[in-house]
Amino acid sequence: MARVRNWQLGRDMEYPYEAERPKRQFTMIMDTNKCIACQSCTIACKSTWTWGKGQEFMLWNNIETKPFGFYPTGWDVNILAKLGEQSWDGDTYTGQTIFEAAPEGERVLGWTAAEEDWSHPNIGEDEPTGNAIETTYVPDRPHSLMWMYYLQRICNHCTYPACVAACPREAIYKRPEDGIVLVDQTRCRGYQECLTACPYKKTMFNLETRVSEKCIGCYPKIEQGLQTQCTTACIGRLRLTNFLSPPEEADPRKPADFLVHIRKIALPLYPQLGLEPNVYYIPPTHVPTDFLTQMFGPGVEEAVKMYENAKDDPELLGLLMLFGATERIFETWDVSGGVARAYDEQGEEIVAVPLREPTFVRPFEFATEVAGEPVTGYRHNT
Amino acid sequence: MSASKVTRQDALLYGGAAVGGLVVGGAAVVGIAAAVENRKGAETAEGEPIVARYHDGELPAEDPGSGTWSKATRVRVPIAAQRIVQPYLEREGVTELGVRALASATEVALLLDWEDDAIDDLDGIRRYHDAVAVQLPTRAGAPPPPLTMGAPGNPVHILQWRATWQRDIDSGGKTGVDQIYPEVVHDVMPDDVLPPEAAQLYWVGREAGNPLSKIDRSTPVEEVAAEGFGTVTHLPNQLARGRGVHEDGRWKVVIALPSARAGVGEALAPGTSWPIAFAVWLGSDENRGGRKHISTWQTLALEERPA
Repeated sequence: MARVRNWQLGRDMEYPYEAERPKRQFTMIMDTNKCIACQSCTIACKSTWTWGKGQEFMLWNNIETKPFGFYPTGWDVNILAKLGEQSWDGDTYTGQTIFEAAPEGERVLGWTAAEEDWSHPNIGEDEPTGNAIETTYVPDRPHSLMWMYYLQRICNHCTYPACVAACPREAIYKRPEDGIVLVDQTRCRGYQECLTACPYKKTMFNLETRVSEKCIGCYPKIEQGLQTQCTTACIGRLRLTNFLSPPEEADPRKPADFLVHIRKIALPLYPQLGLEPNVYYIPPTHVPTDFLTQMFGPGVEEAVKMYENAKDDPELLGLLMLFGATERIFETWDVSGGVARAYDEQGEEIVAVPLREPTFVRPFEFATEVAGEPVTGYRHNT
Repeated sequence: MSASKVTRQDALLYGGAAVGGLVVGGAAVVGIAAAVENRKGAETAEGEPIVARYHDGELPAEDPGSGTWSKATRVRVPIAAQRIVQPYLEREGVTELGVRALASATEVALLLDWEDDAIDDLDGIRRYHDAVAVQLPTRAGAPPPPLTMGAPGNPVHILQWRATWQRDIDSGGKTGVDQIYPEVVHDVMPDDVLPPEAAQLYWVGREAGNPLSKIDRSTPVEEVAAEGFGTVTHLPNQLARGRGVHEDGRWKVVIALPSARAGVGEALAPGTSWPIAFAVWLGSDENRGGRKHISTWQTLALEERPA
């Protein structure tokens, strides 16, 4: 076991390998508030990468409803139950990670999803939870006390991947150039240890080739400076493919660094598991804080407050408006004169979007003449 | 036998208690001739050398049921859960492997049998296969490599039979989604709409040349070299033969290899004896990879060719 720094936990932790950080780290930011679970991302991914025979059940990208949706069934509640109650002291995690809690004879505390667990990607879809008895309508919010939200899931391309830790053959590796985690298709022997170890359950077993496969971060696109298929297919424009620096090298001009390290509005998924996952979520604004804290760690309340204030925060709003505005990965952005602009590595402008689209209001009633006769009516949408 | 645990100490010492401390390697070994002589005619033995009786002619390399096997003494080899290297096998499902051996001028064949009620011969999600493996040093001479699949600079030669590969052969490659889920209904698949060379790209493991992803195979036995756990390397020449059948709640599997071992290691010549170890996997007990049953080093004594 090596000692490694996990900044999401605010402390060092045990990991089976000395893990050097990549030159730059692939990351994705998800704004959960904008998602309508249309699954355009899921289909974009599926039709690009996993429509082969043997991959029928595979969704490298999926959208699930929280709290009752899972793919595979129970993926998060199972590992949380196995790990047991843990705690944070402020921003420092005082509990155990899945590496530290590994039982004798195992490298990682894990569990193995059964084949039927992979068969219900829509389980729990749109099922809300919460206080249905007290009231169904809360005047100061557009929501009732019932709640649910959509969680966008791809491989987290973790800094300390459990799949890498568990593979007895070192067949899974993290690319030094961009931190994307890949299964070496020539080296895997199909032991499925990665399926047991990954707490996010994002490695999958190909039934025809008998080796494991996983989200490849659309690396052929990344290598061309393009955002992933799930990002560019998103009609809600809630995703951003970008690169993230470690906190001590955070650059406020870079989009992901700004959202994750400077503003801390985007938070990791189950950081307590100890993998330092590299997909970050802007938490939903209408969900009980306890639930969000369990899922995204400390800092949820501040993130929600900041998001609610985004309309008065041009720098942040501008960046959020640039999500989904270009297929290209952008390096920096700025906002001036009510317009947000994204720039490439050379500082060339890639795209510009207004912070506020112009609005036109038509009168509710109208009066006109038809064939010389006066006609009055009401506006309606067509 | 009682369930035995293979400990780290056993792994490092050549020959656990079951072997009786017989240290051999190369031809100049006192006692082998006597052992060969003593075992003739015995039906079963435990802790004795596995004597490969010389057979003049073709070995029953693909026939576990051949009468020729009755020439060989069946040695009972204790096997136990692997708990030396992570990940461990938590629970033992079988404690004994039966081993018979025959040798011809050109080939050595082993008949391995073990109790297993369930046939696991399809690989799926959390669905693992039955398998058995034989481990030999590449070089003669004591001490043998570490039991844990050798060590850097101290390689072992491993031959593994998998039930899935046997089914690949027996069924002509019908071992995929359609067999795992017989009621499956497919949408349009790449091979329905693309030319074969393009459709093939969607079977990435196969396209990348991973031997594990092949279904059109000529032998159910894979020959690999290893220098420690996790280092298994597919050998360029796959010359081992074999066949496994499931009968009366037992697997009976033949693994046969050319005794010359060209390009792999020193020849398994008549009159020599070799350390040999075994591993067994029970698919329905979720055995796979290092989660397996292993023996300690045993002794394989190759009978002299009769004058």
